Amino acid sequence: MSEASVAGAVARPAGQPHRRRALSREFVLGAGTVVLFVAGWKLVHWLRLFPPWAFPSPEQVVGAFATTIRNGKLLTNTLASVERQIVGVVLAALVGIPGGLLLGSSRDFRAAFLPLCRMVYPIPGIAWIPMAILWFGVGFTSTVFVIFFTGIWPILFNTMAGVATLDGQYTDVARAYLAPRLFYVRRVLIPGSLPFIITGIRLTYGVGWRVIVGAEMISSITGLGFLIDDARWQMRPDIMVAGMITIAMIGWVMENWAFDWLERVTIERWGMKSAPR
Amino acid sequence: MVEIDALAKRFAVDGGEIVALSAITVAIGEGEFVCLLGPSGCGKSTLLKIVAGLVEPSAGAIRIDGRAVTAPGPDRAVVFQDYALFPWMTVADNVEFGLAARGVERVRRRAVSTELLRAVGLTDFAEKYPHHLSGGMKQRVSIARALAVDPVLLLMDEPFGALDAQTRFVMQQELLRIWHAYRKTVLFVTHSIDEALYLADRVLVMTARPGRIKAEIRVAAERPRDISSPEFSRLRRQALDLMADEIARSMEQEVTAGVTA
Repeated sequence: MSEASVAGAVARPAGQPHRRRALSREFVLGAGTVVLFVAGWKLVHWLRLFPPWAFPSPEQVVGAFATTIRNGKLLTNTLASVERQIVGVVLAALVGIPGGLLLGSSRDFRAAFLPLCRMVYPIPGIAWIPMAILWFGVGFTSTVFVIFFTGIWPILFNTMAGVATLDGQYTDVARAYLAPRLFYVRRVLIPGSLPFIITGIRLTYGVGWRVIVGAEMISSITGLGFLIDDARWQMRPDIMVAGMITIAMIGWVMENWAFDWLERVTIERWGMKSAPR
Repeated sequence: MVEIDALAKRFAVDGGEIVALSAITVAIGEGEFVCLLGPSGCGKSTLLKIVAGLVEPSAGAIRIDGRAVTAPGPDRAVVFQDYALFPWMTVADNVEFGLAARGVERVRRRAVSTELLRAVGLTDFAEKYPHHLSGGMKQRVSIARALAVDPVLLLMDEPFGALDAQTRFVMQQELLRIWHAYRKTVLFVTHSIDEALYLADRVLVMTARPGRIKAEIRVAAERPRDISSPEFSRLRRQALDLMADEIARSMEQEVTAGVTA
C-alpha cells in the first residue's frame, strides 16, 4: 500500500507551471533508462545466462503480443481483469467512503467498529481466495470479493483520516450558518475530505490491481492472471512477460492519468493540493 | 438588543480547571458597534463563540431581543479570523452557503449573492475559487456570507488580524461603510487599540484570564475618525493604561502555562 503512495507522490513534478520544460529533460532520462533496460535484457538473453525456454527475448515478447492480440486472448483477458477490478474498486469505494465518513465523524462508531477493522485488516487479500472459492466458486464473483476485501482498507482508513483532519473551523461555519446534517455531509464533509478520499481510492486501485493477478491465477479461468499462469503450462515465458507488461501499462495509465485527472478537476482547482497525500 | 448576563466559562484541563471568563455582563443596543478589546488569551474569542452559540457557557445566559439563545440561530452570523471560506466552492457559492443551508432556492440565492458581491466590490470574482483571492478579498467574501443571511447581530472574531496594515485600514473603512448601509448590530473582537477606537461606538476592555470586563470606553467622535486628532490620542492613552497591566499579566500567564488562546 505504501509503495503505491510513494510512487504516486514522487513521480509527479512539483510545480505545475514548470511542467512542460522539465518534461523534456525528464522524458529523455526516463525513456533512456527504459531503452537501456531492454538492451540489457537482450544482452542477458544473447549471452544465454538463463535457459532459453525460461527466458524470452524482447522480440519474442513482441511476437507474443502480436499473437495474443491477433487471436483475441489479450483483449478478452484484459477486459475480464479490468471489469473485475472496476467492480471490486467501486464496491470498496461504495462501502469504504460512507464507512470512513461514519468512522471519522462518530466517536461511538469508531469505538464499536475500529477494533474489528484493525483485526481483519492485516489478513492479506490472497488469504481470502480459498474461502472465496468455497463461497462463490471459481470465477468473477470470487475475484471481485478478494479485490473488495483487499481494497476496502485504504479507502476506509483514508476517508476516516480525512474527516478527522477536516479543519474544525469548517464545522464551526456549518454550525453557525445552520447547515442541516445531510447538507453538511454533502457540501462540507465530503469535499473537505476529498484529498484523502482520492488518495484512498488511488491506493485501493493499486492494491486491487496487485492482488487481482494472484486471485486470477488460483480462482479464475479468464483474466490476465490466468493468461500468465496458463502460459506456464504451455512453456510460453514470452506470453507471461507480455501479460506482465500489459498489467504494468494499465496500472500506469490509471495511476498517472485517471487519478491525476480526478485531482486536477477537483482539489487542484480548489487549491487544496498541498494537503498531505 | 443583545444581553449577556453573568456569563462564565470554565475549561477542564488535566487535573484542574481554567476559568476563561467570569461575570461578563454586557448590553448592546440595536445597531450599536461594540468592540471587545483584550490581550491574547483573555477569552474574548471564547466569549464571541458563546454568543454565536458555538461554545456552551458554564454559567449565565445570553438573550437577543428577550429570547434566550443556547445554539446558533438565524439572528446571528459570524465572520471568522482566517476567513474560513470553503475552498471547494466558488465565491458566489460561499456567499450563498447560509441561504443554501436554509433551503432558499437557487434563483433567490443568486440574487442575494450578486447584490452583496457588488456591495463589497467583488462582482468579477463571483465564479472564482477562494484561493485566487487575496486576504482582504477573502475577508470581504466572508463578510458578504454573513450579511447574506440578514442577521440581527454580526459577530466578528479578529477579522482583520491576518491582514497587512494597509489592507487592514482599507477593510476597516469598508466595514464601516457596510455597517452604515446595512445597519447591523456588531460585536467585534480585536486586540488592537487603534482598531477598536477607530471602529466602535463603545470599547469593552477585558482583563487577562480570567476574562472580565474591566472598563468601558465610549467613543463619541463622528466617523470617519481622525486617528491623529488630540481626542483620539487621549482615548488611546486611556486604553493603553487600561491594557498595560493586562498585557503584562497575560504574558506572564503564557510564560508559566505555555498556553495561548
